[in-house]
Amino acid sequence: MRTLFRCLGLIFLCSMANESTGQVRRVVIYDDAATELHTPSPFTQSKDLWMTLAEFTRATGFVVKPQGVCRSELCFPLPKQREADFLGQRGKVTWFNLSEFARLVKQPVAHDQKLATWCFGPRQDVQNGYLATLDAPNFTLPDRSGKPHSLWDFRGKKVLLITWASW
Amino acid sequence: MPGWQIFYHELKDKNFEIVSVAQDTGGVKDAGPWIDKANPEYIALIDEQHLVTKLYSMVNVPTAVWINEQGKIVRANEVAFVDDRFKSYSHLDSGPYLEAIRDWVAKGARSSFILSEDELKKRLTPVSPDRLMADTEFSLAEYLYHAGHGTEAISHFKGAQRLPPDNWNYKRQAWLLSDADRDYGTNFTKEVQKLNGKPYYAPRQMPEPANKPN
Repeated sequence: MRTLFRCLGLIFLCSMANESTGQVRRVVIYDDAATELHTPSPFTQSKDLWMTLAEFTRATGFVVKPQGVCRSELCFPLPKQREADFLGQRGKVTWFNLSEFARLVKQPVAHDQKLATWCFGPRQDVQNGYLATLDAPNFTLPDRSGKPHSLWDFRGKKVLLITWASW
Repeated sequence: MPGWQIFYHELKDKNFEIVSVAQDTGGVKDAGPWIDKANPEYIALIDEQHLVTKLYSMVNVPTAVWINEQGKIVRANEVAFVDDRFKSYSHLDSGPYLEAIRDWVAKGARSSFILSEDELKKRLTPVSPDRLMADTEFSLAEYLYHAGHGTEAISHFKGAQRLPPDNWNYKRQAWLLSDADRDYGTNFTKEVQKLNGKPYYAPRQMPEPANKPN
C-alpha cells in the first residue's frame, strides 16, 4: 500500500514539474492564426520560445535556409556571430528561437506565461507598408452567412469602408 | 445600419459600394442580430479579430475610409454617422459628411473632398511600436477569450488599453466581455464623463459642402 502511495506521489510530482517548467501545451499565434506545438522544449532554462524547425515552419511559413530565414521572396539573414542565439542542436533535432527572431525583425510579442501562449504581432515595416502607396490594405472576412469577401473584390468601384460594433 | 441602407440605395447604381465591418469579438452572436434587423443590400462583414481596426490603425467606431476605383485611399479614418442619434456625444452633424460622399461619388477625383497624397500622409502617420504592442496584446487577449480563458484574457486586454494611443475600440470591446466595473474598475459612461467636454471623436477636418444638405 505504502509503495502505491509513493508511486502516485511520484506521478503527481512529475506532472507538477512539467507544469512548472513550461512544458504544458504551447500555442503560437502568428499572422493571426494559432498553432499548437506538440514537442516539449528542452531549453527549460530559457524564457524564449524555442521550437523544432518543423514546428517553426508549420506555425509561421518561414523556412531556415543557408541564406537566412525565408518565406517566398523574403529572407532575413541571421547574424553570423550570433547564430547560436537562434539555432540550437539537441540530439538529431534542430531548434529555433522564435523570440530572438522576433527581436531581430522588430516584431512585437505578447506572452501569457500561465497558458504558455505567445502572440506575434506585425512587423512595423509591414504594418506601415501601405503608407508609401496609399493602397487600401486588403482583408478577407465573412458576411452574416459565413461567405468570405475581400476588400479588393471591389476594385473598379468607389468603396466606403465603415467599421461599427454592437457594443 | 438602416440609415446606411437608405443612403446606399440612393447611390448604389453609381459604381459605389459600402463595405461595413463589425468589430465584434462575439462575431455573429453579437453583430448578427443588428445585420438581420437592417437587412442591408450593401456588404456587411463580421470581424471577430478586429483586423480592420489594426490594419487601418483605427481607434473608435464608426470610422470610415474612402477608397477609389484603383484601390487607393482618398480620405481616411473619420467618424462617419449616417444620422444624428449620437450627436450628444459626437458633437457632429452627419449631414455634411453624407453630402461630401455624394459629391465624391458624383465627381470622383475632381471632388473637393478628396485629400492629396501629402495631406493623407500627414493624417495617416506610421504606427508607433506602442500601438503595435497594443494590437498584439489585444490579439492575445481575444485568442484567450475565445479559447475559454476569459479571466486570463483580462490582463492582456488591460495591457492593450494601457498603451498609447487611446483606443476606444480596445476598451469598449473588453468592457463588454466582462463586468467592466468589477474587472476594469470603470465603464463606458464613467470614461465619457471623464472627458469633461473634450470630444470623444477627433474633430473632422473637411471643407464646407458646396450644396447644403436638405
